[in-house]
Formats: sequence, C-alpha cells, structure tokens
Amino acid sequence: MDAGGEPTDTIVAAACGDVAAFERLYRQFSPRIYGLCLRLTGQREAAEDCTQESFVAAWRALARFERRSRFSTWLHQIAVNAVLSRRKGLRNEFEVAAPHLGLPERDDPGSGAPPLDVERAIAALPEGARHVLVLVGIYGYSHAEAAGALGIAEGTCKAQLHRARSLLSATLGLEEA
Amino acid sequence: MNDGQKGSLDRLIANLPKDVTPPRNLWAGIVVRLVRAPRRAPPLALAAGIVVAAACLASLFTWAVLQSRSAPRLLQTEVAESSFEEPTDAKYVLARDMMQKTFRERLVLLEPATRAKIESSLAVIRQAHEDIRKALAADPESPVLEQLWESTWHEEFDLYDRVVQATQPPMTRI
Repeated sequence: MDAGGEPTDTIVAAACGDVAAFERLYRQFSPRIYGLCLRLTGQREAAEDCTQESFVAAWRALARFERRSRFSTWLHQIAVNAVLSRRKGLRNEFEVAAPHLGLPERDDPGSGAPPLDVERAIAALPEGARHVLVLVGIYGYSHAEAAGALGIAEGTCKAQLHRARSLLSATLGLEEA
Repeated sequence: MNDGQKGSLDRLIANLPKDVTPPRNLWAGIVVRLVRAPRRAPPLALAAGIVVAAACLASLFTWAVLQSRSAPRLLQTEVAESSFEEPTDAKYVLARDMMQKTFRERLVLLEPATRAKIESSLAVIRQAHEDIRKALAADPESPVLEQLWESTWHEEFDLYDRVVQATQPPMTRI
C-alpha cells in the first residue's frame, strides 16, 4: 500500500498480467464498484453486469494505466462508462423495467443497512437526476468531476442535482408542511 | 425546500454506505472473460508517456532511414525486405540504458514477490530473444523468426514501460 492506501504492488503485478493480483484488486474494490453500479442503474442484474464489465475493461486497459489519477478513481470512471454504455444499448428495456428491481422488499433492522425507502426513492428518480445525485451526493464527486464522468455540462449537473433533491424531498416527506 | 431540509437530506444521502457487497460471486464470470480478453498493448509513442521510450523509437527510425539512404540501390530491396535489427548507434544505446536504469530504480521500490515475478518475466523474454537470435543465425531468411525476434524486443521494452508507468507517483487525486 502506498501512502494514499493504494495497493501499488498489486496494481503493478496485475498490470504485468498476474491474474491472482487482479483478483485481489477485485476483492478490494468490487463492493465500491458494485455499490456505484447498483445506485446508478437502480437494478441488481444490471449492476452485476456492469460490475463484471468494468473489471474486464479494467484488465484490458490496466497496462496503460498511467497513475495520473488514483486507481480507484480510474476504476470508478470505467464503471460509470460501463453503466452509460449499457444504458445506450438497452434503452427500451430500462424504460419499462421497474427501477427498484433487485432491492429487498423490506428493511432488515439487524443489518445496519440504510432505510430502504431512501434507496428506493433514489432508484425511482429519473435517470439523469439519479446519476448526478449518486456521483455527487453519495460518492463525493465535485460537479466538475461528475459532469466530466457523465459527459454533460456542469450547469446541467447542478440543475439535475437540484431536481433530484426536490423529488427526493417530496418522496421522503421532507417538504415544508 | 429550506436550508434545514436540504441539509438533512444531504446528510441522509451522504450517510448511505458507499460499499455494497455483490449478492453473488461475480469473479467467476470475470475470470473466464479475462482469459479470452486480449490486453491492448500500449501504443509505443504513448507507451512511454516517457521521453526515453520516444527517444528509443526516434533513434530506431533515424537509424533505419540512415541505413536505407546509405545502402547501394542494389541492396535497397534487401534492406526493405530485411527484418528488424536492434540499432547499435550510440544515441539508441544511451536511450536504452537510461530506460533500463529507470526500470531498475523503480523495480527496487516494489515488494520482493512482485519484483521476482517481473525479473522472471524479463529473463523469459531475454532467453526467448537469445534463442530466436540463434535460430535466425541458422535460418536468416525466415520471416517468422524475424517477426518473433522483433516482438521479443518490443516485449522487453513494453515490460520496462509498464513498470515505470505503474510506479509513477500519482499526480492528482480525488
């Protein structure tokens, strides 16, 4: 691990073709990537596909990873691209699919997981608003970073976040009485 | 929405766990595809992102051009059809030495197990290069051997590049 918590040696070994090292990277980073894909797609199966797609794409491109950014940041961008690519290919399917498909039906009080109504409300947001809320609100991207990742203007990103907040507030009953 | 509501909503969202464990093992599906997934070699010019690699290539092309210009016309066909040959001019040798020096400096920064794996890969590449060179001496017209010989040369530099690239300190972070 380097000072920033990146497993440098494992990354180098994987870049040189070591599959076992790449599996270690998968074990370390897959919960974050799956979480990102699940929130972006709002669907479990789509999130699984995108997670797999992301790691396969990362394997292919790892030899060219130049460390201008952190490995985790680089991997995040690959995952966002995987979600956006899948969305383009399956537009019709996404439009008719229930957005919260794959989420459990009820809360598990002992799991320590967040209230499902919040997750469901996020999954039910319109796609553009959901993407921005997930990247900025949950994963801490700046507007500039989210706009760059999603290929939209920064102003659009801010407007979508405002829209997402308003819709979520209404759904969760946080509006003024 | 007032500021208080906005703040509580933002806190609610920001407190959601960033990590979610996949409900099933996805690695099995990934590893099957890794075996079939061709890795894209870094383009040589970018390969470096490193000046030394560019210097190596520049030297190689300069050498090739000078060779073909200085060759008698009768021999030009042979030069054109001739295989790759590692340059021997001082400029190229210097650039290669610099690249190897950087590679060695970066290599010692890695953990022993990783270092051993890389050194072992390098030894395999060099052995293959030497074996092919001997085979070429016996069969100098073989285009297959010529291509193999060139590809081992590229493999060696590709390995240097990968190690140098992967051990560069991050310049930006999120």
